[in-house]
Amino acid sequence: MSLASTLAAALALFQIVPGKPQLAHLAVIDVLVIVIYFATVIYIGFHLKGATNTSEEFFMAGREMTAWIAGLSFVSANLGALELMGWAGSAYQYGILAMHWYWVGAIPAMLFLGLVMMPFYYVSKTHSVPGYLKLRFGESSRVLAAISFATEMILMSGVNMFSMAVVMKVVLGWNITFSIFVSSLAVAAYVALGGLRSAIYNEVLQFCLIWGGALLVPILGLVEAGGFHGLQQKIIANLGNDNYLHLWKTTAHFTDNPMGIHWTSILFGLGFVVSFGYWTTDFLVVQRVLSAHNLRAAQMAPVIGSFFKMAVPFIVILPGLLGLVVLKNPDGSLMHLVGQNQLSAANPHSYNEVLPLMLVRYFGPGLLGLGVTALLAGFMSGMAGNVSAFSTVWTYDLYRPHIRKNAPDAHYVAVGRWATILGVLVSICAAYLVMHAAGIMDYVQALFSLFLAPLLGVILLGMFWNRATAAGGFWGLLSGIVTSAGLFVWVHEVGQKALTIVAFSPHAKPMAENMSRALWAFAACVLVCVAVSMVTKPKPVAELNGLAYSATTLPKAEPVPLYKNQWFWAGIVAVLFVAGNIIFW
Amino acid sequence: MQKTMSIWFFAGVMFLLYGILITGAGLWEIAHPPANPPALYNLHAPIWWGAMMLAAGLFYTLKFRPR
Repeated sequence: MSLASTLAAALALFQIVPGKPQLAHLAVIDVLVIVIYFATVIYIGFHLKGATNTSEEFFMAGREMTAWIAGLSFVSANLGALELMGWAGSAYQYGILAMHWYWVGAIPAMLFLGLVMMPFYYVSKTHSVPGYLKLRFGESSRVLAAISFATEMILMSGVNMFSMAVVMKVVLGWNITFSIFVSSLAVAAYVALGGLRSAIYNEVLQFCLIWGGALLVPILGLVEAGGFHGLQQKIIANLGNDNYLHLWKTTAHFTDNPMGIHWTSILFGLGFVVSFGYWTTDFLVVQRVLSAHNLRAAQMAPVIGSFFKMAVPFIVILPGLLGLVVLKNPDGSLMHLVGQNQLSAANPHSYNEVLPLMLVRYFGPGLLGLGVTALLAGFMSGMAGNVSAFSTVWTYDLYRPHIRKNAPDAHYVAVGRWATILGVLVSICAAYLVMHAAGIMDYVQALFSLFLAPLLGVILLGMFWNRATAAGGFWGLLSGIVTSAGLFVWVHEVGQKALTIVAFSPHAKPMAENMSRALWAFAACVLVCVAVSMVTKPKPVAELNGLAYSATTLPKAEPVPLYKNQWFWAGIVAVLFVAGNIIFW
Repeated sequence: MQKTMSIWFFAGVMFLLYGILITGAGLWEIAHPPANPPALYNLHAPIWWGAMMLAAGLFYTLKFRPR
């Protein structure tokens, strides 16, 4: 079969879903761009298999990644397409407020991880975050954290898979089952073959692709809108106010901003509990940094990642804002995107479609394939992150200590490979579960995302309070999880009355409620951990070396030139972060 | 342990291939203008964006090629 007929067959396979007309049609060259991407990621898996023989190589990438690779992988594992499209939609819906999730909701926590927490993770030589809990608080805390985390990873991978399939159906008309199987089999192949090293290689590749495919959208959008000043003027003219253009100015009252959020929720809920919980304790991202080849590289990686994180709004938030002024209907009138439950013949597109709509607006054949590949790469990097983290936690924190203790190293590598494949298969089941019970997705995301708030509580107390005991850690973690789940169910069952208490205002919207619930879960965890620790016996300080701040002697760092010093670059990030918040105040 | 190729080599090759394809598509479009061109078609973004990808890809492919 000739190349042309093979491509034509692939094209026919891609476009088999009837129904709502898709946003874009792929040309042969677009399919070729996508095929090259899939061929490359699978080749990388086969290429790296030969260098992945020991468990340290499979689960920790041999701990030999440079700061740049670990840093890009660290930020890429979080840069899924769901995130790209979701936050572009949020920028269209809420304006520049959505940028908080990239700045105050990430930068301080990333710097804190690199400069303060990473030495403990790295010096303790733990393989995972639950592994750190085992060293600091004992086996029960590790098991609780490992089971919760492994479940979360599988479900999130399934949700990610399903979302990708829906997007590909809406944008390109692809069959949902086809999307799920092709992408998940590719992920299973390259992660099972090359382990974390393969996942990291592909994440770096995907990071480059995402920027290469998405950066052109805001560039062309700004040209069309007349620059950033023109964009601001047009948004004010279209909406009648400048509420969409301020980060903090409109957050003094819940009712003054489109998100219905108060600055205290942004600063303490998002900026502290949610952000620190995710960036410093979620093993999905921490695992990437643990693969660095030395402590300095492990500290530098999150700092490098923070530069790119701060720049991500350029390819996510800006296209959302540009969508407010450049997207037009066929008759030339301004297009109005709406919520999923408000779709109609007059308004057929939802907020979440703003990024694909922008792609289709500016991209012809070739570039469109690149844009779609960027979205696919984002989905697959998220999925690969989930399954590689699942495989590590399953093997190191559940299988090895509780099922088979003293097996040869090759056995654990084999278990890791099979866990990867099993993880992908269970994720596929989770994707179909979500598909047939859409409401489950809300519960899964809300409950499991808040597992991180109590985890942050016990890890901070473990690292910075020598008095925290094993019992305190376990009961603190458990009570935080129960509080978080209980408040979620309470608000959903009782409604406005419960919301007023949980989120401190009857006007709070779902985003504000999430932030407040995280604060409650964190507070419950800390209170219970402190109370139980005060009445139980702590570990001797000598046993906390490498685990707690005041009991640890960190290895003396060799002096390096200023340009290689993590504190210097963190200072620059901090200055840019403050300046950005002032400029867009 | 088998020596592995640099990730930057893979990124370079991919950008090089994409640069060639996208620039080629842009040049083809000039010779055969589409019936429904995208917005800002007159800027010929595929040509200069593809050329930049091609240049970056060529640089990384050569600099990090296996030796």
